[in-house]
Amino acid sequence: MVLNIPMVQPVQNVVIVGGGTAGWLTAGIIAARHRARMKAGFTVTLVESPNVPIIGVGEGTWPTLRTTLEKMGVSETEFFRQCDAAFKQGARFARWTTGAPDDGYYHPLMLPQGFAQVNLVSHWLKEDRGRSFCDAVCQQGQLCDAGLAPKMITTPEYQALANYAYHLDAAKFAPFLQKHSTETLGVRHVLADVQEVIRDGNSGDIKSIRTQQAGEIPGDLFVDCTGFSALLLGKALGVGFKDCSDVLFCDRALALQVPYETPDAPMASHTISTAQSAGWIWDIGLPARRGTGYVYSSRHISDDEAAEELLRYGGKMAKGLTPRQIKIRSGYRETFWKNNCVAVGLAAGFLEPLESSAIVLVELSAKLIAEQMPVNREVMDIVAGRFNEVTHYRWGRIIDFLKLHYVLTQRTDTQFWIDNVDPDTIPDRLKNLLKLWKYQPPWFLDEFDRLEEVFPAASYQYVLYGMGFRTEVGPMDNESTGLVAQRYMAENEMLTRQLRAQLPRNRDLLNKIYEYGLQPV
Amino acid sequence: MTNVVALNSRDHRHLRVQASASARYGDSQNFVAVIVNEFPFLVVQYPILFSKDSETGAFYCGAMLGFDKGENLFLDERKGFEGYRPLNLQRGPFYTAGGDVAIDLDHPRIDGGGQELFTENGEPSAYLNRVIALFRELRPGLDATRGFIETVVRLRIVEPIDISATFDDGTKRKLEGLYTIDHEALQRLPDDAVVDLFRRGYLQLIYLMIASLKQIPALAQRKNARLLEATGALT
Repeated sequence: MVLNIPMVQPVQNVVIVGGGTAGWLTAGIIAARHRARMKAGFTVTLVESPNVPIIGVGEGTWPTLRTTLEKMGVSETEFFRQCDAAFKQGARFARWTTGAPDDGYYHPLMLPQGFAQVNLVSHWLKEDRGRSFCDAVCQQGQLCDAGLAPKMITTPEYQALANYAYHLDAAKFAPFLQKHSTETLGVRHVLADVQEVIRDGNSGDIKSIRTQQAGEIPGDLFVDCTGFSALLLGKALGVGFKDCSDVLFCDRALALQVPYETPDAPMASHTISTAQSAGWIWDIGLPARRGTGYVYSSRHISDDEAAEELLRYGGKMAKGLTPRQIKIRSGYRETFWKNNCVAVGLAAGFLEPLESSAIVLVELSAKLIAEQMPVNREVMDIVAGRFNEVTHYRWGRIIDFLKLHYVLTQRTDTQFWIDNVDPDTIPDRLKNLLKLWKYQPPWFLDEFDRLEEVFPAASYQYVLYGMGFRTEVGPMDNESTGLVAQRYMAENEMLTRQLRAQLPRNRDLLNKIYEYGLQPV
Repeated sequence: MTNVVALNSRDHRHLRVQASASARYGDSQNFVAVIVNEFPFLVVQYPILFSKDSETGAFYCGAMLGFDKGENLFLDERKGFEGYRPLNLQRGPFYTAGGDVAIDLDHPRIDGGGQELFTENGEPSAYLNRVIALFRELRPGLDATRGFIETVVRLRIVEPIDISATFDDGTKRKLEGLYTIDHEALQRLPDDAVVDLFRRGYLQLIYLMIASLKQIPALAQRKNARLLEATGALT
């Protein structure tokens, strides 16, 4: 008698190709989650070309990075010191609505006060016209205005008095993660160039990659973190790219690092995004320099004109500097996980860094892979299907949210802004939501109820009402929640006063972190 | 303001220092930094806790003497200091600067009266000799305390403690920014870490800190009695 035992192929060896921010974050997240299994043969290998330079994808992050780093067992103090990291308490959007010099609003990282209990939008619309929506419902805009840090030197690592993310030097972040992942989390690091992707003739799965320096490297699951080139998912598996430049027009970026006038010059604890004639300029405060850059549409402005606008923005400290040009293509892969290969980072897609979505998408994808790590090849397709569904949803929602910043503009001074409000360039889903929001403000129980929604309803509130959008409020709408709303708005005023009195200046706290460090508890 | 200078028998021959405990001399503190050498004396009287330096965020050990700022429940202006007086209060206006003893000439303890520092022929007085002996204990004690704190923080066996109390006059106190030993985390430590704590003498300090928590209700009772005394005096 012949016993026919069905072959169950376990997933034991994860191979990540590409050693930028995406690769090392993914390696660290997966290794930290499955460390205990490593004794039983589970491996995480990162293969990195010694010759391909890293593209620093933006320097803005989301508060999720705090949890991500903490789970990886990284010391926040070391992270601050080695990655030139600084606090980010959200973003201020200047000149997006009317283009006037005083036109601006915040998209903070704190939820409106009592967000889970009451929707403050209609109350603010009815009663609080003098104050911005942000100031009426949360503390963070005023903390940013005052140049304050989101915590104190006595606040433990990763804890906050006001929710925060980081600005960081991307060129230092990847090597920092590499060191931690290889020395503490047991990630294998192979420096080699990929020559060939070897696939199984029947299933189409990737069996191994052949490298120039390290021979053949087999694996059960391959993560493509090879950046724009998408060596595995794009080139080897032939998955196409869905372009979305019809919605988001910007296709070029000019980056420029601007030094401070003095080493102790005040540094903003938020990203400043200032609208220009054919795009917008980011301005990110790091301890030693400001990272700035102009994201623009080459259909609407020439490279030279764009460089001129950027240098003008940089002022006298930017004089004589030459911006570095990066070509960008907005869009994402038609499928993110095919066979035994999943793409993370730029290999999965790219969007303009208006809301710093690049690193957070890497974290969310890597976390999903780590949490849902298929036990064997048989169940991998089920996990892949879910991964694709969720990731598609996320890219779609981010595109909607980015477009929201453009469609609410009242600017007609250049063709770029006029073209951006053309209904043909607005996704249907966003069009419908804008119609709905005329009568009901976004909140819970509507569209945005996914557990890991990238931009929660609160984000839409800050952008909509920061840009002067108006929702009709009926005469009776506020009746039942009036008292609760009043209480939370009063509470917000009190907390704002308290925090303003308590918190140190942004740069002062960073200097203290460099000198004394934060305590782990 | 402080005016700290190195002490010498020429300039300070006739200087006197008030050594007795009194609110006007700076003994009215509700939380006093302590060193590990003091733990056995402190534990019978005070809760021993960690707090953080507001300037650097660094942990330090302290004894809790009261609930409100400036409240020392062991100080009685008529009877003096009750029980063990922490070294930091005992040292009064004295500091060390390198190997020398230094003194803060603007300290409230220097008001013309009190103990003399030098004898007629310029020799250190018995009082000054006691101060010098105290520093001989305090200085290595500070290093030992730093080592202890560094170890327990690294092992993550420190946790915040919320102390709240309701007193018979209806008032409430909630103290924040205090930390103690995380007993559960301590029990989860691997054997080799525990043996290491024991060999270094830290395990004993840890248990003294845990035992000292029982002084919190005693301290609350002490305050309650004072409050009742104050209201009793009115009726």
